[in-house]
Amino acid sequence: MSATETVFKPGSYKTDLKPVWCPGCGDFGVLNALYRAMAKLQLEPWNTVVLSGIGCSSRLPGYVATYGFNSVHGRGLTLATGVKISRPDTTVIVVGGDGDGMAIGGNHLMHTCRRNLDVTYILMDNEIYGLTKGQTAPTTPTGDKTKSSFWGNPEPAVDPVELAIATGATFVARGYSGDMKMLTELIQRGIEHHGFSFINVLSPCVTWRGETQYGIIKEKLRSVPEDHDVTSREAAMRFTREKDVVTEGVLYEVHEPTFGDQLEAIRKKAQGGKPEPSTKEILKTFYPTL
Amino acid sequence: MPRSDLTLALVGSGGDGVITMGDMIAQAGASEGLNVIKVEAYGPQIRGGESSTTVRVSGDEIFAQADFVDILVVFAWKDFARFKSEIMVAPNAIIFSEAKDETEVDGADLGAGPEATWIKVPFIELAKEAAGTTLAKNIVTLGLVSELFSLPQEPIRKAIVNKFSKKKAKVLEANLKGFAAGIEFAKGLDTDLSDWRLEYTPGEPKLLMSGNEAAAVGAIHAGCRFFSGYPITPSSEVLHFLSQWMPMVGGSVVQTEDELAAIGGVLGASFAGVKAMTATSGPGLALMTEMLGLASMAELPAVIFDVQRGGPSTGLPTKSEQSDLWQALYGSHGDAPRVVLAPADVEDCFHTVVDAFNIAEEYQIPVIVLSDQNIAQRSETLSMLTLSHEVKERVTPAAGELEDYKRYKETPTGVSPMTWPGIEGGQYQTNGLEHDEYGKPTSMFLVHEKMNAKRYRKLRPIRDEFHFIRRYGPDDADVGILCWGSSKGPVKEAVQRANARGEKVAAFVPQVLYPFPKHEFEEFLKEIKEFIVIELSYSAQFYKYLRTFLELPEGHTNIVKRSGGKNLTVHEVEEEIKKALPQASTKREVLV
Repeated sequence: MSATETVFKPGSYKTDLKPVWCPGCGDFGVLNALYRAMAKLQLEPWNTVVLSGIGCSSRLPGYVATYGFNSVHGRGLTLATGVKISRPDTTVIVVGGDGDGMAIGGNHLMHTCRRNLDVTYILMDNEIYGLTKGQTAPTTPTGDKTKSSFWGNPEPAVDPVELAIATGATFVARGYSGDMKMLTELIQRGIEHHGFSFINVLSPCVTWRGETQYGIIKEKLRSVPEDHDVTSREAAMRFTREKDVVTEGVLYEVHEPTFGDQLEAIRKKAQGGKPEPSTKEILKTFYPTL
Repeated sequence: MPRSDLTLALVGSGGDGVITMGDMIAQAGASEGLNVIKVEAYGPQIRGGESSTTVRVSGDEIFAQADFVDILVVFAWKDFARFKSEIMVAPNAIIFSEAKDETEVDGADLGAGPEATWIKVPFIELAKEAAGTTLAKNIVTLGLVSELFSLPQEPIRKAIVNKFSKKKAKVLEANLKGFAAGIEFAKGLDTDLSDWRLEYTPGEPKLLMSGNEAAAVGAIHAGCRFFSGYPITPSSEVLHFLSQWMPMVGGSVVQTEDELAAIGGVLGASFAGVKAMTATSGPGLALMTEMLGLASMAELPAVIFDVQRGGPSTGLPTKSEQSDLWQALYGSHGDAPRVVLAPADVEDCFHTVVDAFNIAEEYQIPVIVLSDQNIAQRSETLSMLTLSHEVKERVTPAAGELEDYKRYKETPTGVSPMTWPGIEGGQYQTNGLEHDEYGKPTSMFLVHEKMNAKRYRKLRPIRDEFHFIRRYGPDDADVGILCWGSSKGPVKEAVQRANARGEKVAAFVPQVLYPFPKHEFEEFLKEIKEFIVIELSYSAQFYKYLRTFLELPEGHTNIVKRSGGKNLTVHEVEEEIKKALPQASTKREVLV
């Protein structure tokens, strides 16, 4: 906190850039929930980094007055790895859509989960490619007609939550952009979690999936049962591939050493309390030992 | 007459200890202050299969692997056959081979003349008898060659002791017996090989390093504290070395899931204010291409160390070629400025990597360092004295500049002061979209044109500040050779030999390929009569690149190009000089 003891309000995190999103887009809800969660945590903008890949939702870093980076399609998590490992004291938040995170960037999600990198990843899932105007995404339900599946989508959809749990994320939640209160809490808890936190947010695309999406989700929406054991992978998996309901809340949370913790332990081991070797000292190891 | 320069090649299968043998000779040479260049070659097998090591030891300065092997040791001719045309012996070479191997060998196939000496040695039997195991063949050989050719025998014995003293006393004892058996066998030979003895004055020990190791040390020296990479031949040694040393200097190494993540990590770390690098080879550089454009657009310092191998596609993963040039220069969508450097020997790998960081950090631009397998994986003796290099840092905003901070502020050099997370008031939101001075996205032509100009403007001061070139030979030469990368070694050696014969031959070797040191090169062109450009690229990428911005002397430009897969030899360069020299006397109409 700076000397002036600024208090950050949700509005403090707004930039003067106007979102490019369509009126009614679910991503507005995610952005507002993020502002609120950041304010609740009093995140210092200069110690916070928001990164993304490419897509409608990936425009979000431009709207947050922290350090921000709207990078390359699918690669937000890779940049986040470099940022978090290099500046462990910063809060790193990655955002993106289902095409960005589940299709082109799917490989990075798996490995970032596995490493338990201490960042928060908010996946804005609208079940469609919005920016490119309406093609099938990995989360589009089978049979749905899109611009790229004239006769209906021939592929089964992926559940990002299932993938995150299976590949080693230590905090996995599902939220809905129409439930601001819950979503704010999920993002806040995700940021507070020490380890990789994954929040899949159902964020309707009114333009390519239609206005009815809000109604459909709302009808199916229920909170995670109070007696759910968040430390149980098996129990969490029961809330994946849901058809008739949408369960929101924290589904899984365990504590494991983060990637940063492991790298720090390696540094300690490598240094063994000794000062850093100079270039000359490193070079000397190349003399023949005869 | 004893000699000051000797090249040995050892050929066998994996398990024959050929590589260990080469290591020990090289280590022993370096410890005596000799100049050493050691090259290894393998078949594609993960274990077993043919392997070879070629060691050149010399009391004089050397710049390349020798063209021809003086002393060849072959444990099995079937393994040697796999290196056909790649290992050539001198016409008068000494050739030792396993006595049990009855393969008929045509000396002409390996370059041997009638004057060659062929000696059958019962390596297997000697090893079994003395050491009790055929595994000691290589140690027997060390005894044999050190005795016959006056290689530093005591240091080699020490190397054997070092290697086996960790094992049971019996194992060391057996190997020392094997070593003695080799020496004894040599003493019993009735062939007079005294002309082949190495004569040198011992000096201070030298460092023995590979190009990849020198590059890795260069990175640490430059202040690199984040490395992410994906394993790929022939660059993986950079990752290996840094995985050990980077944590010791407080940095991090991430072995990523692919090359996309590798360069992503580098850009993230760089955005966060930490010097960062990745290392790869051609296929990996291809995968990084999209994000190279992001580095240009977001103006992020980044160092990409590319060790070239034969291509396209999987190509020749273990062999050298100079065919990633166009990819490095132009591989991108959009107008994406970058800098391309090229080390020409092992020591250069250290210097070009430090320079790459200096340029990247000072100018906020991606820098590709184009090494190649030849210098990356060969071991070479170096002096500690020349391995230092000034280190530069990124420009950060002055306190006043943080009010209304413009991350991409227009400046005469195109460089805008850069903040990073943790700097209060320096927050900005950047992107791969075209953006204005604040970093705000825009699709406006006017901004795009202005920002393209800003990004390209940096190249001029880079060219003025960093114009590393090497120039050999007289100022006013009949023949001038241009080459880059590992071709420098044989070119330099050929130029020196020509000069010693009184021929006026010069060479120009740029270590900066882009922005090209055009002025210096044009001066060079003015001074020479006949011009040769040499490269290991089938499609002559370097020559064609030059043609994009230079007029080369019409009728007096000789393009010497071929595929990689076999390193350039001094002999090849000498042949070209021979052809070019007479043409230098013909009149040249167009100067430049």
